[in-house]
Amino acid sequence: MTGSMTGVIFDIRELTIHDGPGLRTTVFLKGCPLRCAWCHNPEGMTLAPQILHNPNGDRVAGRVYRAAELSTLLNRQAPLLRDGGVSFSGGEPLMQSAFLAEVIDRLVGLHVVLGTSGFAPEADFQRVVSRCDLVLFDLKLMDPEAHRRWTGVENAPIHRNLAMLAGMGKPFIVRVPLVPGVTDTEANLRAIARLVRALPGTPRVELLPYNRAAGGKYAACGLTWRPGFDETTDCRANLAPFHELSLEVSIL
Amino acid sequence: MSSILDCLTSNQGHEPGLPPRLAEMKRRIRAGEHHPLRATESIDVLSECEAEQLSWPRRVARLTRRMCEAQAVVIDPDERIAFTRTVRRVPPIYSDAAMRSLLEGRTVHELGPISNICADWGMVLGQGLLARRKTACASRDRLAGDPEAVEFLDGAIETIDAVLALARRYARGARELGRHDLAELLERVPAEPAATFHEALQALRLCHSVLWMSGHYHCGFGRFDQYLWPYLRSDLAAGRLHEADAEALLAEFFICLNKDSDLYPGIQQGDNGQSMMLGGLRPDGGDGVNPLTAMVLRTACAVALIDPKINLRVDRNTSLELLASAVQLTRLGLGFPQWCNDEVVIPGLIAAGYRPEDARNYTVAACWEFIIPGKGMDVVNIGAVSMPSAVDRAVRAGLAAGEPFARILDRVAADMAAQVTTLAEANRRLLLPPAPFYSVVMDGCLERGRDLSGGLEYNNSGIHGAASSSAADALAAVRTLVFEQARVAPDRLLQALATNFADDEPLRRELRDSAPKVGNHDDRADALLAKLFELFADACAAAGGNGRGGRFRPGSGSAMYYVWLARGHEGMCEPATGATADGRRQGDFFSSSLAPSPDATVRGPISVLQSFGTIDYRRICNGGPLTMELADSLFRGAEAVGKVALFIRAFILSGCQQLQLNTLNVDTLRDAQRHPELHRNLVVRVWGWSGYFCELDSAYQNQIIGRHVYGN
Repeated sequence: MTGSMTGVIFDIRELTIHDGPGLRTTVFLKGCPLRCAWCHNPEGMTLAPQILHNPNGDRVAGRVYRAAELSTLLNRQAPLLRDGGVSFSGGEPLMQSAFLAEVIDRLVGLHVVLGTSGFAPEADFQRVVSRCDLVLFDLKLMDPEAHRRWTGVENAPIHRNLAMLAGMGKPFIVRVPLVPGVTDTEANLRAIARLVRALPGTPRVELLPYNRAAGGKYAACGLTWRPGFDETTDCRANLAPFHELSLEVSIL
Repeated sequence: MSSILDCLTSNQGHEPGLPPRLAEMKRRIRAGEHHPLRATESIDVLSECEAEQLSWPRRVARLTRRMCEAQAVVIDPDERIAFTRTVRRVPPIYSDAAMRSLLEGRTVHELGPISNICADWGMVLGQGLLARRKTACASRDRLAGDPEAVEFLDGAIETIDAVLALARRYARGARELGRHDLAELLERVPAEPAATFHEALQALRLCHSVLWMSGHYHCGFGRFDQYLWPYLRSDLAAGRLHEADAEALLAEFFICLNKDSDLYPGIQQGDNGQSMMLGGLRPDGGDGVNPLTAMVLRTACAVALIDPKINLRVDRNTSLELLASAVQLTRLGLGFPQWCNDEVVIPGLIAAGYRPEDARNYTVAACWEFIIPGKGMDVVNIGAVSMPSAVDRAVRAGLAAGEPFARILDRVAADMAAQVTTLAEANRRLLLPPAPFYSVVMDGCLERGRDLSGGLEYNNSGIHGAASSSAADALAAVRTLVFEQARVAPDRLLQALATNFADDEPLRRELRDSAPKVGNHDDRADALLAKLFELFADACAAAGGNGRGGRFRPGSGSAMYYVWLARGHEGMCEPATGATADGRRQGDFFSSSLAPSPDATVRGPISVLQSFGTIDYRRICNGGPLTMELADSLFRGAEAVGKVALFIRAFILSGCQQLQLNTLNVDTLRDAQRHPELHRNLVVRVWGWSGYFCELDSAYQNQIIGRHVYGN
């Protein structure tokens, strides 16, 4: 195993429902450059392992794996994941792109899905995407100012990576988290629909309704849950902007 | 597909997907509105048995007859399948003192009467009771010089006549009420061979009820879709019945199985063994799945009651569509179907000496134990081997003596062998009481002139291998932390076990958190799990015959022993266990059947399949399911049913034998709030992600509880 890179993983979950087709195991890579107000995985924000303080005791979130070790673990599941595969999520998995690329290179006979915010240097993005079978690409807010305000980063690099992805001929799906009053507005969804429509290959769109339990893990992470939006409002699963542009859209 | 959607819709609202007539029938039965019809007085059979000095077989036959005679005729105006039990208790046929002397030096199985086997219902429906009577009479003529045969056959004929008389009284009652449809049905069956699906269900309802009235219990239905499909097929082909009518009849049949079940004995209410099996290979090796298979699943979904308990046999060729419609049932949170992997079960039964055509025809007894309808007089639950006790005693003695790990394993083997020997010796003294009516519905008894208690084709005895994961974890902790890593000194562990970790909580946590655990596809633990079952199988093989022409079958179930072995139970011969080397405190429960230890951290369901797939089930053929709970929030997304169906396929590929997949309901979540330490592995789906329920703040826990109120 010497020579194998290391990475930090905060969870490995099996039988995940929303991380790609078929029966899947999802690996959650720790660390994310975004600070989305609605983030439901606060233990995925920082790269370093951390201690979660739960009412029932402490638990370490984040374990260092060698690429060889993680890929061996996943390869051992391959016989049961014939009808699915492995997904990489986070955090933002592209923050550990070199490690992730090595892990994927070591996988044998597994369908690979990447779930990404799209916020990464182009080289990192390309390095990982080229090794995947399907990309689940998040689009959150089209307005640059709103994107900065709610996620803490610019959306321009995200859009550049999306355009590159569309040009690579790699299967991908655009995913939009529906956050009440933030991303589920008519204007935002229309703008997203227009952007997607203009992409080569016109990918499918999936909407992920916001769930009110998102803040459940903040206290354990030593953070305060201040969503900054009214989470008691139901988000609007507005399909019209996508239908009007003949986009294939579904709600997860 | 439309029916699956109906099922989905019905689950989301408050009203079950039943037509109004059946919804009302279900409501009345659940409310117990028929209970006032039950007689308050018990009947007396004992006096006449004593006065006539009847033999035991004739007493049991007389019991069946008097119970049938004492039943009042109850016909609800709108019911299409008749029979409501009105006599509550099965009366004694011997005084306590006489029973004691009969049983002197013998072992009784549970309550005594024959239980937990499965009739050949296909044969009974296909022949009719008059033909069974004719067979009995012919044998009686042929065996006139054989007093035992004559006595048995006279008793059997008495029970047949009693059932036929009961059916005639019901038919007359129906006529008087102007229910000529029902009267015509009951004038034909169960006397004649059933000619239609409706007749078959009516005959089954009556004959099955008579088994219970005769004192038998855990009476199942066997391969329901196999023996009923020919009737339904010919009805549909002839245009006598439309699919919707058939579903309504089936639903009514299922509802009526919940009518008298509060009178059925069991460890807990609902533990009544009204199980049925669907799908699987036919005896000739062909695929047994037929349109009735899916219809039963749909109907059980619409009925949404605890009976009948559905089992589904699967293999890698089972269609995803069928798996998905069965998962709809899982989604309801009723705890079934239980899945049986034909690819593993059948070779195991063949290896245990079952003929291939019989092995392919297996069903389950009350819970999970594999039996052959009509041919099995297996007593499948004579007791349990406590794997944690075997390991614990070996660990304590071995460490105290300074022995190497291999020697501790030898001690485990010897301990399990001793436990099996104890159970086997008691079982060789087993006295099975005569069962004349049960013999009527089994294969060959009337033909041979012999009661089933004298034995059938298969007469094995089953032993549970209980709490295996805790036992394997304890061994793994000792091997890893004491021997390989030398992190824990033997004396420290011995002291901690002796004091229930009272002064060494850090060690308890280290054992719990740093040692390998079953459920993570970690060979360090899984290999020891497989080893324990190998040693258990060796012990059963070495125990020899059971004195009834059978042998001892090892299983992987626990029944109630996951509580009893942890806390002790009055009258239990199995050893209870104190604190164990996996970091479990004295008194903490074990897992039910096959499941990771309650306190273990587990990666997820795929790894659990892989851990338990390491057991060599060809030698462990008494059954015992891998038991997993799914949070019902997992089923929120439209894709979830399909994903869980794929998970069932992974179960098949994993080489596991049997799977019990539960969907947790609100009560369980509330319990998790009160006892989070018992629910560490309980996962909930929040938003595109899964979390440990106990890690969420209570406000979010409550939010999820609020959301789930509708689900189940």
